[in-house]
Amino acid sequence: MKRLRYLFWVFLIGSNLISAQNKEVLYDFLEIPESLLLNPGREVSYEWYAGVPFISGVYAAGATSGVTVNDLFAADGVDINQKVRERALNSLTKKDEVNGIFQIDILNGGFRGRNNPKNFYSFGLYTEGYVVNYWPQDLAFLAFDGNADQLGRRFDLSDLNSSGQMLNVFHFGINREINNKLTLGGRLKLYSAIVDYKSTSNKGYFLTDVGRDNLLVNTLSADVKVRSSGFNELFNLDDSGRSVTSLFTQRGFFGGDIGLGIDVGVTYYLNKQMLLTGSLLDLGMIYHTTDIVNYSLKGNASVEGVEVILPDALADPGADLWQDLVDEIEELLPFEENNDNYVTIRPVKLYSSFRYNFGKQAESQRSCDCDTQIDAPARNTAYLNSVGLQLFAINRPRGPQAALSGFYQRRFGNILALKTTYTVDKFSATNIGLGFSVQAGPVNVYLMGSNLLSYGNIADSNFAAFQLGLNIISWNLN
Amino acid sequence: MKRTGIFILLQILIIGIIFSCADRQDFDQFDDLTIVPDVEASLLYVETPERIINQVSGINFYTQTFNFDAFNEPFVEENILEGVITYEVENTTSKPLDITFEFLDEFGNSLDIEFFSIEAAPTAILTREIAYGPNGRSMDIIRNTSAIRVSAVNRGDNTSVSPLPEPTIYLRSSAQFSINLK
Repeated sequence: MKRLRYLFWVFLIGSNLISAQNKEVLYDFLEIPESLLLNPGREVSYEWYAGVPFISGVYAAGATSGVTVNDLFAADGVDINQKVRERALNSLTKKDEVNGIFQIDILNGGFRGRNNPKNFYSFGLYTEGYVVNYWPQDLAFLAFDGNADQLGRRFDLSDLNSSGQMLNVFHFGINREINNKLTLGGRLKLYSAIVDYKSTSNKGYFLTDVGRDNLLVNTLSADVKVRSSGFNELFNLDDSGRSVTSLFTQRGFFGGDIGLGIDVGVTYYLNKQMLLTGSLLDLGMIYHTTDIVNYSLKGNASVEGVEVILPDALADPGADLWQDLVDEIEELLPFEENNDNYVTIRPVKLYSSFRYNFGKQAESQRSCDCDTQIDAPARNTAYLNSVGLQLFAINRPRGPQAALSGFYQRRFGNILALKTTYTVDKFSATNIGLGFSVQAGPVNVYLMGSNLLSYGNIADSNFAAFQLGLNIISWNLN
Repeated sequence: MKRTGIFILLQILIIGIIFSCADRQDFDQFDDLTIVPDVEASLLYVETPERIINQVSGINFYTQTFNFDAFNEPFVEENILEGVITYEVENTTSKPLDITFEFLDEFGNSLDIEFFSIEAAPTAILTREIAYGPNGRSMDIIRNTSAIRVSAVNRGDNTSVSPLPEPTIYLRSSAQFSINLK
């Protein structure tokens, strides 16, 4: 029962990852150091920065592309079975996603090179976890309705498409201002995976039809695989006497599965006020070797029950025909388990933007009375306003997905910056995001949220995300 | 004036995020969710040509007990709620026949019997549906079934031959049951 409840929540709790992983408010928000993680080639004007451990970047997102938590669990007096039938089974399709993601910066810092001030180095460690589920439409109908009175209907096994991962990411990046127009950046990432599962390339169908001999024939044609690492020990912690914290800490610090990846980014000025940016994140892979349990079901079998055809059956009147049938099915459709190592490719993300800056700040507005004098604002932050477009795309099991955002950013001296976004993707056309960054001396605080219109009843939201953080920033070498 | 605008915006964001609200949710409703699919599959198929019947002396030309563990698999046994077993008997032989379909427990005790008497061809296909559960026979019959015994009796002679092509007696059966998954 608990596992069933867990599985149910896995399908419902999250969001669509296209929205969940798109940090459109943070992207190119130059006042916030964490935006360097979204574009290692962004402009950097700091001398150094240090994130406050565990709170320099906290991000969580949840949404659904079809049904909301409120749709199913509102205390509205409507029978939940009716709600599930109408709002999930009869409404969701295999294109709908239900996912979730979180990311917490454990350590994050950066500094400008002493010998070569055009270089800026950044480093850190963050924990990330995500679950990606497509709604298993046919399998859901099969589970709720069964195969009775469904002659000729193929229940598509490829609807089973789910993956999830939790890992620590250690990163070190270099950002270099090549010239007045061009800034490039790259980041090396070491992945230390804690748990992982994936079942995304399934094929086959289950069919019930009129039998050739008997009344019905059930046909299962399957090529289904589930790969996992790290769960077996997790599910048996009671037996080992080990704590979850101990297990996760060990695996998260290179005691688990190891992987390697890179980020690259660029900023290019078309002229003094217009620029293009872009980044590719998580071009990498992880080699899974820890606590591997893989399952597969591959083959074809058609069954018309126990068949007794005389006189052939008289040859062995003592035969266990039921067991023979079971053995035959298992031979045709072997369900196998193995511990073979495997490789996962990280979901690659693409950001790009066009930005137009206007309304130059007065010098008086570019300084403050802070103890730490802000001395060298970036070219972007020399303007009061920025407006532009951002494109986000992510590689998903069923092909790339994209989101387009328009944004407006407003700066108030070097103390406060606000950014608002309007994002359209396949899941939402009303996603308005808003974020601010406050610089109080060396202390930088930021807070941002997406899909603010949904905050009136967040349980009825298809997507909600927030991000906050606290950093210490210095613009001075001395 | 400008500062007022800034603070209003900040207040909207902070209050919006921190004090965002939600209609009252009742997650205990999950306990009321029921998942009860109706599943169906063929059960047993027996085919006997007329020439075999003619070769067997005596009227009981066929009896066989089959091990049948589909119903008493632990998951099925615990979660099966109700259902229907459908039988179909088709006779294209020249003999009137009696067919007995018997459910047995693990000790060989008879739990339920279904008897079919069908006339010699030409005759209609005999179809019968037997319900089990609240609106039919006891589900314990199904839950405790460990074997099925099929017997066939020839009420005719051992010499006649049907003019139909490939004269055969067919017994077909399928089961449709509701299973409580949650």
